Amino acid sequence: MRQLVLLVVALLVGSPGFARAADPGVTDTEILLGGSNSFSGPLAFTGTQLTKVGVDLYFRGLNEGGGVHGRRIRTIYYDDGYRPQDAVANTRKLVEQDGIFAVIAPQGSPPVVATLEYLEQSRVPMLFPFQSSTATRGRKYVFSGLVLSDRQSRMMIDYLAGPRKFKRFAALYQDDEYGKSFLSAFETDLGRHGLKLGATEPVKRGVTDVSAQVAKLQAAKPEVTFLVLTPGPAAQALKERQKIGWTDSVMVSTGPLTDETYLGLAGDASEGVEGLATLPDPLRSDQPGVKLYREQLQKYFPKNEPNRYSLSGYLAGMMFAEGAKRAGRTLTRDGLVAALETIKGWDTGIVPAITIGPDHDTQKQGFWVKVENGRFKPLSDWLKSEP
Amino acid sequence: MALAAWGLGAVAALAWPLLAPPYFVFLATLVAVNAVVAIGLNLLSGYTNQLSFGHAGFLAIGAYTAAILTLRAPALPVPLTLLAAGLVTGLVGLALGIPCLRLDGLYLAMATLAFGFVVTEGITNLDALTHGNDGLRVPLARLGPWTLATDGSRYYLALAVAAAMILAALNVAGTRTGRAFLAIRTSEIAAQASGVNAAAYKTVAFVLSAFYTGVAGGLFAFVVGFLSPDAFDVFLSVDFLVMIILGGLGSVWGAVAGAAVVTVLNDSLAGLQTYRPLIFGAILIACMLFVPGGLAAMTRRQS
Amino acid sequence: MSGQALVHVVVSGLATGCIYALVALSLVIVYNATRAVNFAQGEMLMVSAFVAWSAQRAAGLPLPVALLCGVAAGGVLAFLVERAIIRPALSATHWDVLIITLGLSLMLRAAAGIVWTNEELPFPSLFSNHPVAVGPVRLAPVSLGVIGASLALMAALVALFRATRFGRAMRAVAQNQNAARLMGISVERVYSGSWLLAAVVGGVAGVLIAPVTFLSTKMGLIAINGFTAAVLGGFGSLPGAVVGGMLLGVIENLAPLYLPTGIRYSVPFLVMIGILVARPRGLFGQLERRKV
Repeated sequence: MRQLVLLVVALLVGSPGFARAADPGVTDTEILLGGSNSFSGPLAFTGTQLTKVGVDLYFRGLNEGGGVHGRRIRTIYYDDGYRPQDAVANTRKLVEQDGIFAVIAPQGSPPVVATLEYLEQSRVPMLFPFQSSTATRGRKYVFSGLVLSDRQSRMMIDYLAGPRKFKRFAALYQDDEYGKSFLSAFETDLGRHGLKLGATEPVKRGVTDVSAQVAKLQAAKPEVTFLVLTPGPAAQALKERQKIGWTDSVMVSTGPLTDETYLGLAGDASEGVEGLATLPDPLRSDQPGVKLYREQLQKYFPKNEPNRYSLSGYLAGMMFAEGAKRAGRTLTRDGLVAALETIKGWDTGIVPAITIGPDHDTQKQGFWVKVENGRFKPLSDWLKSEP
Repeated sequence: MALAAWGLGAVAALAWPLLAPPYFVFLATLVAVNAVVAIGLNLLSGYTNQLSFGHAGFLAIGAYTAAILTLRAPALPVPLTLLAAGLVTGLVGLALGIPCLRLDGLYLAMATLAFGFVVTEGITNLDALTHGNDGLRVPLARLGPWTLATDGSRYYLALAVAAAMILAALNVAGTRTGRAFLAIRTSEIAAQASGVNAAAYKTVAFVLSAFYTGVAGGLFAFVVGFLSPDAFDVFLSVDFLVMIILGGLGSVWGAVAGAAVVTVLNDSLAGLQTYRPLIFGAILIACMLFVPGGLAAMTRRQS
Repeated sequence: MSGQALVHVVVSGLATGCIYALVALSLVIVYNATRAVNFAQGEMLMVSAFVAWSAQRAAGLPLPVALLCGVAAGGVLAFLVERAIIRPALSATHWDVLIITLGLSLMLRAAAGIVWTNEELPFPSLFSNHPVAVGPVRLAPVSLGVIGASLALMAALVALFRATRFGRAMRAVAQNQNAARLMGISVERVYSGSWLLAAVVGGVAGVLIAPVTFLSTKMGLIAINGFTAAVLGGFGSLPGAVVGGMLLGVIENLAPLYLPTGIRYSVPFLVMIGILVARPRGLFGQLERRKV
């Protein structure tokens, strides 16, 4: 038994993190970023693409060019499987044991919102989380990574109830912060048009089977059905809809979902689906930034297809680099925040020019898309989310 | 010699927050909490042979009870909160144990599996109380005028509770209850034939096991600081089983050792999450094939 | 709820129920022969599905051949596991086999994630998803195909048990191992054979359900539904496994129509608890009498 005690103590003492100096992630040669994300579970694909193929892709190119002010950028990620409790534990480990400078591109409203308070107390910046809950807005150390749900909803409802003249809406939504933040935004925006949200069916986070919910929604006969889900159940909803022959409702996906990923899972059941896209077509767009992304993807991670998740991570990396550049050689957390706030009308070559105001929203626009031959085609120009 | 080693171990344990960085204090606290769960699980599975696949459910009940109590009654001193968490969980254990009396082996494993799931579903659905799937932030524990705001303070609390629970468990082994447990484990039918009321003792084992795990759950809530029901899944229950199988079924110190190894291993593998089930599965198989008595048996052989 | 929709729900429920029945059958086949439970059954059928996927994608094999490859691979895996790991441990208590197969399930799940992926993938189906007219109603061929394939397999199993020597040997071992041994039946051969047969049945279930649930490492969790189905029907009874499976599938599909939708995910667990509390021997099972 005492050998065992010695062994455990030795394991702990021998671990690299034991003799740690109090330097939060910035050395002469390196900046350490990290985040808790999904590498298993319902968002395994999007999580991997976002971080290891997105953020890391941008930093690969950046590091090869010498980094920012002579510092290379390194990243560590831990898997939370889309579970808020694990996200908090991982984030704590990253901050306290690994000593990251900032959190970059964590994913999912429930896990991200769970870590907000801890990060705020520890004054660690959370940069560009891939989630849309408005709970992150207006916090000193948080900058959004996606168009937030109230802006998305405004653009979607104004487009659908306005020029498209739809009146009956339903929603299939994930039963947590992700789904509920959209639901309340929909209700507000529909109210402005004198309309109400009709049938809504909740889907438990992590499950794939939504046949019962789809059957119930069909009975309500909506003209538009919103899908506020992760790719798995969303694709299932499309397949189920095809199976029961429910053709008279337009299926509309929200921002984080609108990508060919879930279309691929649904196969030919994805015809006619529409949605709000928050990033340009990663495969076809000829925006200079997107072309550069494709070139680098081909060079460093050739086995990966372009998708909006890795593009989003790539953009997040780009935004961090810009902030770090503007902050100067002396890099502190407060300095980074101040530097990011100076970004006005900055052209990324990917999305419309970025202006970061006091609400710390980095992206505010999306455009309408509709599926044609398995890919989303743009149906509108960039819509505005401000009145 | 053994006394010197124990003495050194006790000093190291007490001085740990002064020696180690905060993250490792947190890790040691987690070891203490998991040790209490492992001992509780051992009481059920190690002694009376009722394999439980649902102990994450008991942990969840204890954790949420403590969290909700602290939210609603913040002035409640933490020992009372932990006691309440244990009692509530113990009651649930009673409610589960009685109908499960006539089940054993596979059927009991299935029933506990279902129980674990129903608990997390229940917690998710009571979302007015628990915040459902979004998760619940646990306020800091209070002891009179003090708030347990540092890793060190929580470590000492966990250490004290774990020490008390270990002593209690070691003492049970020597009592009539303990001997009855052992008799039931060796052969329930023979024990019954010798006049041991197997049903009563199996129920006691259930309740005690649930109580232990509930108290650990309360500690767990304060240590981890944030709860969400999806973290208390069957895979967590399996983690606890690995702890007691690795440590050796029926051994209190084995449970502690198993808890320590699994907790530290889990943390070391944080960057290699995909490999975790592979390693744990291999540990289970290796234990069963080569060292069925676990670490306890290995150390017994040496001494 | 219109009549058409209700018919669809019931047929869909029967289709998933057939899958549960197949999984339950594979669990019961192993249990009857060896009196031990294979906790890794779900993961093994998941591996079958992944192998079939690889066979079609990487090797470009036509779909039916790829599916057979997957099923065969599952069988080989089962055979090897039984010989190398289970057989040595069987002389010990059945506890140990349970824990070993639990460890195996963990290892297989992780290994599949490492060798293939942790993501969800689309899986090709032999049957179309577009509804066709069948008499007065419209049904999806995928549901009918699953039901048809499952019934065909069950019929083949019945033939195996009744008409072949091996089948009769399996029934003998299930009834009384010692007596079977005295009759000259190689109990060890029956062990291997049951594991192989169970894996084949499970593999078929896996490749039939993968198009519906998508291919992923968490497919193995369907074993829980299989267990519930087997317990519902009476653990150990083969017809019980079939009836239990169908019943569970239909209940799962009907419950959310009349109760809150979320109840669907709890159904297998509620049914499990209900049966274990009210009537542990299930619908067709026998009371086990433990001999001293």
